[in-house]
Amino acid sequence: MNDLIKYLTLSDPNVRYVALAILLLGGVSGAVGTFNFLRKKTLIGETVAHSMLPGVLIAFMLSGVKNPLYLIIGAAVSGWLSIWVVDYITRHSKIKGDSALAIVLSSFFGLGIVMLTIIQRVYVKEQSGLDHYIFGNAAAMTPEDSAVFGTVSLIVLFVVVRYYFSLKTVVFNQDFAQSVGINTKWIETVIRFITIISISVGIKAVGIVMMSALLIIPPTAARFWTDNLGRMLFVSGLFGAVSGWLGAYISYSYSSMPTGPWTIVMISVIAFVSLMFAPKKGVIFQRWSKLLVKRKMNEENLLKTAVQLEVRGKGKLFNRRSISTRQVFDQHLWNRTIKRLRRKGMIKKVHTGYTLSTEGRAIGAEIDRRHKIWEVYLQRRMQMSLHLVHDEADTMEHFLTPEIEVEILKELGLCSRFNPLLEIHEIVPEGA
Amino acid sequence: MDAFWIIITGFLVASSTGMLGNLLLLRRMSMMGDALSHAVLPGIVIAYLISGSRASLPLFLGAIVMGVVTTLLIQFFSSKGKLQSDAAMGTVFTFLFAVGVILVTRFAGEADIDADCVLHGEIAFVPLQTSSFLGLNVPAPVWTLLVLLLLVQVIFWWGYKGWMITSFNNEYAQSIGIRTVLWHYSLMAATSVATVVSFESVGAILVIAFLVVPAASAYLITDNFKRMTLLIMLQGLISATLGYFIAEWVGGSISGSMAVASFLQFAACFAWIKAGAKKEG
Repeated sequence: MNDLIKYLTLSDPNVRYVALAILLLGGVSGAVGTFNFLRKKTLIGETVAHSMLPGVLIAFMLSGVKNPLYLIIGAAVSGWLSIWVVDYITRHSKIKGDSALAIVLSSFFGLGIVMLTIIQRVYVKEQSGLDHYIFGNAAAMTPEDSAVFGTVSLIVLFVVVRYYFSLKTVVFNQDFAQSVGINTKWIETVIRFITIISISVGIKAVGIVMMSALLIIPPTAARFWTDNLGRMLFVSGLFGAVSGWLGAYISYSYSSMPTGPWTIVMISVIAFVSLMFAPKKGVIFQRWSKLLVKRKMNEENLLKTAVQLEVRGKGKLFNRRSISTRQVFDQHLWNRTIKRLRRKGMIKKVHTGYTLSTEGRAIGAEIDRRHKIWEVYLQRRMQMSLHLVHDEADTMEHFLTPEIEVEILKELGLCSRFNPLLEIHEIVPEGA
Repeated sequence: MDAFWIIITGFLVASSTGMLGNLLLLRRMSMMGDALSHAVLPGIVIAYLISGSRASLPLFLGAIVMGVVTTLLIQFFSSKGKLQSDAAMGTVFTFLFAVGVILVTRFAGEADIDADCVLHGEIAFVPLQTSSFLGLNVPAPVWTLLVLLLLVQVIFWWGYKGWMITSFNNEYAQSIGIRTVLWHYSLMAATSVATVVSFESVGAILVIAFLVVPAASAYLITDNFKRMTLLIMLQGLISATLGYFIAEWVGGSISGSMAVASFLQFAACFAWIKAGAKKEG
């Protein structure tokens, strides 16, 4: 608890910069990753991050010192080159994007490994710490690093605000963007630019894989909460920042725990929770709503069939056998559906069977009416043959909103209380 | 003699992973090698902690199990969460890698294991692990990889029709009653086994490269499936040889050099195809 307070108030100078830096980095990469995610190029960060290794090493060999600025520039140049190669391969051959990414990743990183082994032999003393560009070293972050991340965040924020409309259009529909006169090439360059600067400053702090994870996972989690680009950028950035902050906290309170990996575990937990529990798009919500629809369909089918039996003069009393002459229910399904309908007061138990309540009858009749509206519509407007329309209408009868009903009736030239008691084959087709 | 065994090892890895890479390429899952190479880390660490030894069999089993878990998780994310497949893959493998790194750090004191030794296995050490069999002095990894190659060949020729049809038209395959999910999982399982076995002797980066680069260059040159597989093996041999001599020349990592060599070969094929297209058009 003491740790938490100390951490929250940032009173410990050791943690201040690490926490601030990783929070900024998480936020920025969450936002930047969203663009790549929506363009279905999620793994580009993985390739770019790996491809930066040779650039870092060349910069080191040329300058002979481990000046972060030179190394970042080297990283950015080789990252840029890697995207260019990926793009060139996919544009000028039948190789698809995923293969191009893997080809570039393995060859650039392979080159990096070759160079690293040479450097480790030649520059025995000066080279120590270069492997931070592979595995990351968040604990060694300095105030300057926070300042760098802060600057990068501001640049990204500026770029996103400045080009918001164009970015949005390009991300969702490239062809449309081109047709309304947006310079899509320039916008693509902008996306590349923000991707590369955030990765090149981030790899030293959290390492290659953790950096690409920061670009991949926050947008993945955010996607379960919203469809709106602005909101998604915000949510994704927020998730990235929160997990960075949590990761730094864990690393602070349990010494020797690494910051980068814990940040990724935190963001993964957020992603998993979103996947399962997010309203509307979460797995559980989707399962549940599917179940509800299925239940509703069964109930409506039962009521409809009972009404049809009544209309046909088969008496008001119904049971599983009489219903099953028109609509098959197995024992299990029947029991559950009956139980729910009785609880809702739609049907009543009468010694040997069940009867409809007034309410249940009204609903059943309404479903039957919708069924027939669909049948007429499908037959007249969709030119479906008579023996097919019934099955089709059987599913569609459960999905007819009053608005669509009005439209269809208008289209068919029927009065608004159209209420056919006849089956479709008993209605004379239009124009016949 | 060392050079010979190293080149043979490279060739064997290229041939067995390349065959599967060919199928991954058609399924647009070429990044699977990269994903698996990271995702198996926690499996290896857990196996190490349980068995308490660095013997390769337990670690290998741990990695295989984790490979299958990775596949299942990716499938869960993409089908149940309706996520695009690259995002599902990226989320799963980075998460598992992070877990692996945390485990390594947590148990670093007790365990002589680090991410480096798992991911960057070095092909240069292959000749050191000699074992004698039928009077022949052959490095143990060569035997393992030879068995792997035979296995991959058998599985490949047994299943390639199923994998082809499910790769080209999944819906059609489904509609004629082919169990597409089963085919998918079997390919992923085969890929996990092949990559994990290869990691141990040549390191992750070379496996990622050999899984996709020879297959991609063969795919550029020909559409004929059998010719493609022959080309993949040929390229494996050339990349391994060329890579070995580059490494000798510059004095760097052999695995890395082989990866670079296979890229050079890809670039050559690419230029050749482009030049051909220009002449025609």
